[in-house]
Amino acid sequence: MNDFQPRADQKRVLAYTGGKMGVTAVPGSGKTHTLAVLAAQLVSAIDSDQEVLIVTLVNSAVDNFKQRINQLIKRQRLLAGFGYRVRTLHGLAHDIVRERPGLVGLAEDFQIIDERRSDDIREDAVDAWLRGHPEAPTSFLALDELDAKQIEWIKRSHWPNLVRDLAAAFIKRAKDLQLTPEVLLERLPLVRERWTPSQAVLVSMGVEIYANYQRSLAYQGAVDFDDLIRLALEVLRRDPAYLDRLRRRWPYILEDEAQDSSKLQEEILRLLAGESGNWVRVGDPNQAIYETFTNANPRFLREFLEEPGVTRVTLSASGRSQPAIIELANYLVQWTQTQHPTEEVRGSFLPQLIMPTSADDLQRNPPAAPHGIQLVLQPGFSSERELRFVADSLARWLPEHQDCTVAVLVPRNERGFELINLLKQRKIPYVELLRSTSTTRQTAEVLEKILRCLAEPTSARKLSEAFRVWCPDDPENPEIKARIDRIARRIAGCPAVEAYLWPRADLDWLTTITPELSPEDVAWLLEFREAACRWHRAAILPIDQLILTLANDRFREAKELALAYKLALLLRDLADSYPTYRLAEFVEELAVIARNERRFLGLAEEDTGFEPPQGKVTVATMHKAKGLEWDRVYLMSVNNYDFPSGQAHDTYIAEKWFVRDGLNLEAEALALLATMAGDFSNPDAPADQFSVPEGQATRQARLDYVSERLRLLYVGITRAKQELIVTWNTGRSDRKLQPAVPLIALHGYWQQKQSQEENS
Amino acid sequence: MSVDIISAPHTGNHTIFLAGPPGCGKTTVAVQRLYHLLNKGVPAEQILILVPQRTLAAPYYQVLRQAGFPAGGNVDISTIGGLARRTLDLFWPLVAATAGFAHPDQRPCFLTLETAQYYMDRTVEPFIARGAFDGLTISRSRLVSQIIDNLNKAAAVGFPLDEIASRLKAAWAGESARLAVFDQVQEVALAFRRLCLAENLLDWSLQIHLFWHQLLPLPQFRRYLLGGYRHLIVDNTEEDIPATHDLLRIWLPLCESALLIYDTEGGYRIFLGADPKGALALADLCREHVVQSASYVTSAGMEALGLTLARYFLQDIPRLKTRVDPLQVLEPQGQRFHPQMLEWVSETVASLVMEEGIPPGQIAILSPFLSDALRFSLIERLQRYGIQVHTHRPSRELREEPPIRCLLTLAKLAHPSWRRPPPPTDVAHALMLAIADLDPVRAHLLTEIVYRVRDGQLVLSPFYQIVPSTQERISYLLGGRYDELWRWLQAYINRRDGPERLDLFLSRLFGELLSQVGFGFHRDLDAGALAAKLIESIRKFLQAFSSLNWQGTRALASVSGSSAEQPVSTGTLRTGMDVGLEYVDMVERGILAAQHISSWLGPAENAVLLVPAYTFLMMNQPVTIQFWLDAGSRAWFERIYQPLTHPYVLRRDWPGDQLWTDEEETRAREEFLGRLILGLTRRCRQRIYLVYSDLNERGYEQRGPLLQAVQRTLVESKKS
Repeated sequence: MNDFQPRADQKRVLAYTGGKMGVTAVPGSGKTHTLAVLAAQLVSAIDSDQEVLIVTLVNSAVDNFKQRINQLIKRQRLLAGFGYRVRTLHGLAHDIVRERPGLVGLAEDFQIIDERRSDDIREDAVDAWLRGHPEAPTSFLALDELDAKQIEWIKRSHWPNLVRDLAAAFIKRAKDLQLTPEVLLERLPLVRERWTPSQAVLVSMGVEIYANYQRSLAYQGAVDFDDLIRLALEVLRRDPAYLDRLRRRWPYILEDEAQDSSKLQEEILRLLAGESGNWVRVGDPNQAIYETFTNANPRFLREFLEEPGVTRVTLSASGRSQPAIIELANYLVQWTQTQHPTEEVRGSFLPQLIMPTSADDLQRNPPAAPHGIQLVLQPGFSSERELRFVADSLARWLPEHQDCTVAVLVPRNERGFELINLLKQRKIPYVELLRSTSTTRQTAEVLEKILRCLAEPTSARKLSEAFRVWCPDDPENPEIKARIDRIARRIAGCPAVEAYLWPRADLDWLTTITPELSPEDVAWLLEFREAACRWHRAAILPIDQLILTLANDRFREAKELALAYKLALLLRDLADSYPTYRLAEFVEELAVIARNERRFLGLAEEDTGFEPPQGKVTVATMHKAKGLEWDRVYLMSVNNYDFPSGQAHDTYIAEKWFVRDGLNLEAEALALLATMAGDFSNPDAPADQFSVPEGQATRQARLDYVSERLRLLYVGITRAKQELIVTWNTGRSDRKLQPAVPLIALHGYWQQKQSQEENS
Repeated sequence: MSVDIISAPHTGNHTIFLAGPPGCGKTTVAVQRLYHLLNKGVPAEQILILVPQRTLAAPYYQVLRQAGFPAGGNVDISTIGGLARRTLDLFWPLVAATAGFAHPDQRPCFLTLETAQYYMDRTVEPFIARGAFDGLTISRSRLVSQIIDNLNKAAAVGFPLDEIASRLKAAWAGESARLAVFDQVQEVALAFRRLCLAENLLDWSLQIHLFWHQLLPLPQFRRYLLGGYRHLIVDNTEEDIPATHDLLRIWLPLCESALLIYDTEGGYRIFLGADPKGALALADLCREHVVQSASYVTSAGMEALGLTLARYFLQDIPRLKTRVDPLQVLEPQGQRFHPQMLEWVSETVASLVMEEGIPPGQIAILSPFLSDALRFSLIERLQRYGIQVHTHRPSRELREEPPIRCLLTLAKLAHPSWRRPPPPTDVAHALMLAIADLDPVRAHLLTEIVYRVRDGQLVLSPFYQIVPSTQERISYLLGGRYDELWRWLQAYINRRDGPERLDLFLSRLFGELLSQVGFGFHRDLDAGALAAKLIESIRKFLQAFSSLNWQGTRALASVSGSSAEQPVSTGTLRTGMDVGLEYVDMVERGILAAQHISSWLGPAENAVLLVPAYTFLMMNQPVTIQFWLDAGSRAWFERIYQPLTHPYVLRRDWPGDQLWTDEEETRAREEFLGRLILGLTRRCRQRIYLVYSDLNERGYEQRGPLLQAVQRTLVESKKS
């Protein structure tokens, strides 16, 4: 940290003292670090009751920022963690609403339900709607191409899934547009006549499910994550005095990953910053990859950059990748701008190229190694063959490069799981960064095992199971694993539990077996005994307090502690509803949650800080890889399904094969919804203000998707420091997919360049 | 100056208003004044010591019990509530008819907190059944206590009972849906009052109301009260309610002498109706106005710390006169995780006690809230160092206290006729707490063998009938203790006279067995205190019912809408024992809160005190070392969740047409925290450890205003 010597463009950012600034930064240009240094600078400039507010995208970035800023300011002999606040948008919204919940009709102890719980509630609403509208699918199915049996099958299995996805997107977007169900229900009759009957059905479906969903939430006195953001904005609008107080508290707002900002995020931050406030937005519009499934849109950052009074800075020097990789990434940008076969997506990238760092820079680019690039474009590369190709390559490379990092990046989780199966078979070490592992299940399981041992204190077997979950969680270490097994077996064979946990002077089970054990095993048994005795003593506490006590004894991760707290609340509710419940009943409840038989309101799946390990293969989605880097990177499945280009033969994941006219129903519904946010107060508005020709939104969605996938490919390429291998596949046997057009373009460019260099 | 006050004239309406911060010796002066009055021949019966709550009278009780105290009659020490109750009892025939009671010819029944909660719970019941309070997330006990709170505030402040809803609604700035809830609160409050009038029940609010509106206008009562007590000593006027101040306004011009004491930094009981402004206004009615400022408790550094921190929250804090570093007495200590913070606190306490020789009783660990998990974890850790801990948590549900659950489980075992056999887990836990050194494993083993429930009937068998191998596992020593308990219970079950009253049963169980060597309550200070409290609570409950008998049952019937021919609970209220079962049910339903501040028993010299910060203030006992736990928690700054009442809006000085907005809320919170800081520092002699963890016990980041104020102090100290 002390070695940080800002480059010229970084110095421009660090010279900031106030006003609005927009910073666009290429991958690896040190934007996050520059922002942290700026934050630390500003902390010393503000009053002691103020904070620099830093808003970022994911929780892992929150911790990352905190660590960096703390390191920078800790030498000032001040309390750690003060003078600034790092929050995700949800965290910030929670802070805002939490102080004045009454303003938006929430009780002081309002509950935020997590995504799983909201999925449950929404599914109930969807099911109710489906039952009430059995004939709805006929408006949308490709009836000419389907036989009766197929139609029945689609109605039974595919249609409900489609409605679920559509409803989720509809509700999310409605909240982003600040449209309540009441407002939509009021406006629906006014616009219905301008639409086709199937369009009217589509929007009615969304509105009715939304209304039902919100009713359920209100009944439970709860809000979901999207409400939280909507309500935060409402709170700020409703109480100017409160807004003034927050403006005073947060005189500077620094926003990272601003390319993924949503409309509401921008509005909240704009309000907090005020007309003449201090707001720095940093991002890379070329890495905007969340548009399709969130309300994020890089347009907001781009428009901000163009606003009058905004100082614009570009961080274009990056020391991350070797020159060949930079060249390839830059070529993708240039090719898209000038040669992409679909003209409408040529603006997918900001015309911003990555520049290597100068020779005297502390972060010099790795040396040039053109052979580090492999674009595999063999024809007929089947899905299995691609997997084998990557696994073979890793098996050859990894043993020789134990001190290097390597990742295989896939467009979707499923592909990652397929690769992992193969890596397992080949005994190639890997770490998984795909769908988040279920902390909820694990946390519930740990607590269940401990509670079970407390409910049956005389059972040695239960005690042995509690021992297993008490042990440090490192199944990778065979020595520790063997020790855990060995000791657990010992405990399970203990003839009288009390002789181990509360031994009499003349009868201590541990003393009797000590001669047969290693000193480390004895130490573990002693330590576990202390913990188990403490738990047993705590068993007389009310169940929620018992859970909290156990959790604070066993867990260290904030996420686990927070989950345990939620479990404690759940069991507390049960205890209030069923006063006769005792430990045995609570254990069963936890077991159901641990087995995932009942959905539990855990936390939203959140990213955790990840440090790419050496000597192991990281298997990750390209989305999850954002912000990370590896020495060698494989990009898989770069075909025209995962990376379509708007060509006639491309297929799109959002367009269901059974829907007529290739319609993307979700996009169609969202476009109609957007018209309902228009100005209804103007009687002279043109008649076509609310009409949307069918299919128009589908076509636009295709283009948006093509653009976003181009940027995803760019993100994938720029994760590599030294070597990059890109492969494709033909998909499942019936698909006959093609290599993605951009891959073909990159391949052509690279071959030409190689041959030019060879000739020269 | 002190000498002048003590020996001031005691005739000719000599009234003194003595103001000063905590620790400046105000109460000491008042005690000396009491001595002086008695030594000058003032009859003890003519002296009244008036305090806002009984615990604040502790210094006077101590003096009155001392051997060297002048002989003679009794000095009365009372609260306004105590005074009202006593005089209403005396003058009942004069007020009963005019006050609207349905049975003026019969004696009144003064409700205790427990019985008031009981009747309010029953009053609320039919309203809830009709859908009232839907959509409000609140426990039943809080619902009940907040409606009682509204009644009490109306009486304490002196506004008509039917104005509760209009006052709350006029100030409500939130969503309109809540307005209907306030109307429901009003309906319940009025129904409760109707019940009281119909059945001669007098809760605290009605006592105060009648005292004012029925008794005080009576000339004969005025002669009795104002003519009887000629000398007043009124302590902690700032913590008292407007009704007390109004009484003093009448009384001060008529008495021979009066000493009113006002803590300039007090007013902590605002949630209970305290009116510091009203108290300060009394100074104008006093002949002398004395201000003391020097503290005998705090050092200059501690005073500087209090003023420096409080300055961030309070407007009128004076600048420091001398250049004293406020940080010299403060030691901030941050940890990443909550358990690490507790570990650090335990180690530091141990080091203070063992290495610096500070008596445990001179150390207070204070937190905004004291959860079971926090209490358990700290006690566990401190006991590892052999350090005893004394805790006190007001307004806690009785059912959540393990010693209470133990006693009630044993009561169920002793009363098979209740047909409430406890589950085996409860029995195991009860045995574990009741029998010294019985660990949880052996307690369960023992329960598995000796306890059976057949056809709803419980069977408890003796240890000596167990097979020898299991006896060996449990140990003969512990088995012997169990047998002692078993024999005691059997003897009770087989009593020829049948079951005793529940309070008597528990008194005997505690006295004859549990408090003895070899049993669990012998060394457990908190458990003993809780047992005493439980017994006292049951006793009052039973007494109230014994004076009621038929009244209570009919009252319940009328409130709940049942017909008189089918009264509710008739069968359960006939004997003390049945009422005892009613009490147990109430505890198990979570209706009854545990100790209230008035019942606090006082600190133990050999134990570290672990209490909520606010409770510590109300105990008014300075210590040498304080730990401010969870300093990052916003709870230091926030009011408890009270959706059905409002401590500020229901005050006398609240303008009726004003909304309670963010500005007011923030100011109130700042005022609260500022006063808390001043109060705590005024009660600390040497050092404050400010401890916090980045993540609280729930895993959430915390960095509340208290911690921010400390940070600001650090920053400013660095700049200067």
